[in-house]
Amino acid sequence: MLISMSHVTKTYAMGESKVRAVDQVDLAVEKGEFISIWGPSGSGKSTLLNLMGAVDRPTSGTILVNGHDLGRLSDNQSSELRNRFIGFIFQRYNLIPVLSAVENVMIPLQIQGVSSGQARQKALARLDLVGLSAVARHRPDKMSGGQQQRVAVARALITDPALVIADEPTANLDSDTALQLIVLMREINRGQGTTFVFSTHDPRLLAHVQRRIRLQDGRIQDRREEVADAMA
Amino acid sequence: MQWLKIALRNLLKNRRRSLVTLMAVAIGFAAVGLFRGYTANTYEGLRQSAIRGEGLGHLTIYKAGWAAHAHGDPQSYMLTPAEIEKIIAVTEADPHVLLATPQLHVAGLVSNGRISNIFLAKGVVPADYRTITGGMSGMRAMQGQDLSPEAPFGVLMARDLATQLDMPPDSDGVIMATTLDGQMNALDIRVSGTYDTGSDATNDKYLLLSYAYAQSLYDTDRADRLIVLLDHWRYTQAARLRFEQQLTAAGVPCEIKSWEELSLFYSKVKGMFDMIFMFIFLIVLIIVVMSTVNTMGMSVMERTREIGTLRVLGLKRRGISVLFALEGALLGLLGSLCGVVLNLVVWAVIRMAGPSYIPPGVSTPVPLVVNLLPVAMLVLALFLTLLSMAAAVLPARRAARMELVDALGHV
Ligand SMILES: Nc1ncnc2c1ncn2[C@@H]1O[C@H](COP(=O)(O)OP(=O)(O)OP(=O)(O)O)[C@@H](O)[C@H]1O
Ligand SMILES: [Mg+2]
Repeated sequence: MLISMSHVTKTYAMGESKVRAVDQVDLAVEKGEFISIWGPSGSGKSTLLNLMGAVDRPTSGTILVNGHDLGRLSDNQSSELRNRFIGFIFQRYNLIPVLSAVENVMIPLQIQGVSSGQARQKALARLDLVGLSAVARHRPDKMSGGQQQRVAVARALITDPALVIADEPTANLDSDTALQLIVLMREINRGQGTTFVFSTHDPRLLAHVQRRIRLQDGRIQDRREEVADAMA
Repeated sequence: MQWLKIALRNLLKNRRRSLVTLMAVAIGFAAVGLFRGYTANTYEGLRQSAIRGEGLGHLTIYKAGWAAHAHGDPQSYMLTPAEIEKIIAVTEADPHVLLATPQLHVAGLVSNGRISNIFLAKGVVPADYRTITGGMSGMRAMQGQDLSPEAPFGVLMARDLATQLDMPPDSDGVIMATTLDGQMNALDIRVSGTYDTGSDATNDKYLLLSYAYAQSLYDTDRADRLIVLLDHWRYTQAARLRFEQQLTAAGVPCEIKSWEELSLFYSKVKGMFDMIFMFIFLIVLIIVVMSTVNTMGMSVMERTREIGTLRVLGLKRRGISVLFALEGALLGLLGSLCGVVLNLVVWAVIRMAGPSYIPPGVSTPVPLVVNLLPVAMLVLALFLTLLSMAAAVLPARRAARMELVDALGHV
């Protein structure tokens, strides 16, 4: 099992009151799954993804990622875990503006201290995989949103992570580009066995998804639908 | 190298902001560097005029107890001929000693026959004194002749005293004083020449006469001090310690003063300049810190989401600090480099224009010269680089400590 969450709750203080952004969630993700998390705005999608990505810490409950109890990791240890084990794709791409596409893709390896030459070679291969060899030297502001997000996909894949987490990766893309991105992710999922968990608003994308998790008020809904999908 | 690239490109990206900070560092650097160069030159000049111009040599040797007791009982605290001989033997054995010469300083009244005035006089061995003042005497306005053994009662009279008494070179007069035994004594003098002591405070009372003549005025065969000239001022303190020990061992306990302690100006001017320097340095420090803190603070603010992203990708808190530290250090370094250039330009302009000025209490114009101090500049550049590095780390650490979720959510 890749991810296992049990009784995970995350509460945020909103002034006087407390918001249960994620409420008593139990969830298991196997290697190689392609999962979408969907649900209305404010249902806790981002919070759930942040929790399984070791970006945020649960208020209670335990999260195991590849056997590591995230609650027991120090700040530096979770940094290392994120760096080596998880790839991240963001809604607003989050590329470093002063770096070219290939330099952006190299970052996770350079954080590990891999030499520039090696990192560059691997980054170019990943850019090739997402079909962006031609713009490797371009800065993000010279690229379209779809291109930027594919650079982000290449960056997420550079360390050969077991898990890629993407919070609304298509929200800023037009629907064709959004579809292309999901198809690309699905291909990588099939080709390399990388596990993808991503959140989305867009019901049309759900067709390409192997397993859907619907969130409502921080709780997982409709287990039957999930199971039905898995069997399909 | 990736981090350095990010730092450099971000500085280039915010060109105007970086430039303003760079200029602040550069101007601060040049201000400190130039003032430091100016004081270094001034100290050099003051050192020269103390050792050579004031004729203090490097060390002045008195009999032990001179400072405390000589007022009540001068005779007992003067050096006898035998002691003088011993001191000269001990000091001149030292390879760094160029010269050791006795002096007798006397005071009394000098008269032109109608009016009289107080005087302070150094009784010096003329040839030795010429060696001590060396190149400096050429800088002084000088009328008439030097002291010489051929004119045993010739004196050099300070400029203003000569004017007040109306005693140009070759005029005759009388000096009066009490001998060490308490008798009144008067001796004829002839003004061989007039000289400029270099200071308004002493130009109206100083005389220079021969050692032998000063001894006759006080009716003694003793000297009150011995002047030692070294081959370099750097040896002053070492020589002083050595002589103190050696003279005590030789049975002539002495107290020794250095030119710094005896000079009229040196310590006062140095004290004042050091204060001003601290003041300028402090201002520069504040300006540099404030502008880098401000620039880097803005940079950190604007790049909060970038910091969050890098953290999510696995960069540790320390890594964030390093990234911004590099940026700050780069600002400090580039600013210092611009500062070096600015410093050189101003230095060259001053050299070409060659302005001069009259400092307070000094009787002749002094050229404004600024020294170039490569080592001090290097140290300053290093210091400013480290300083702006520290100024960058401050806001960066704060940002690195933010909750990741908050950093990412930042627009
Ligand atoms: N950092 C935070 N501080 C306070 N409350 C928060 C924080 N993050 C999320 N919340 C609250 O937790 C709840 C779930 O938020 P979350 O962002 O996880 O939902 P979401 O499903 O991702 O919504 P959206 O579709 O709008 O992105 C919301 O009510 C939100 O206001
Ligand atoms: Mg969200």
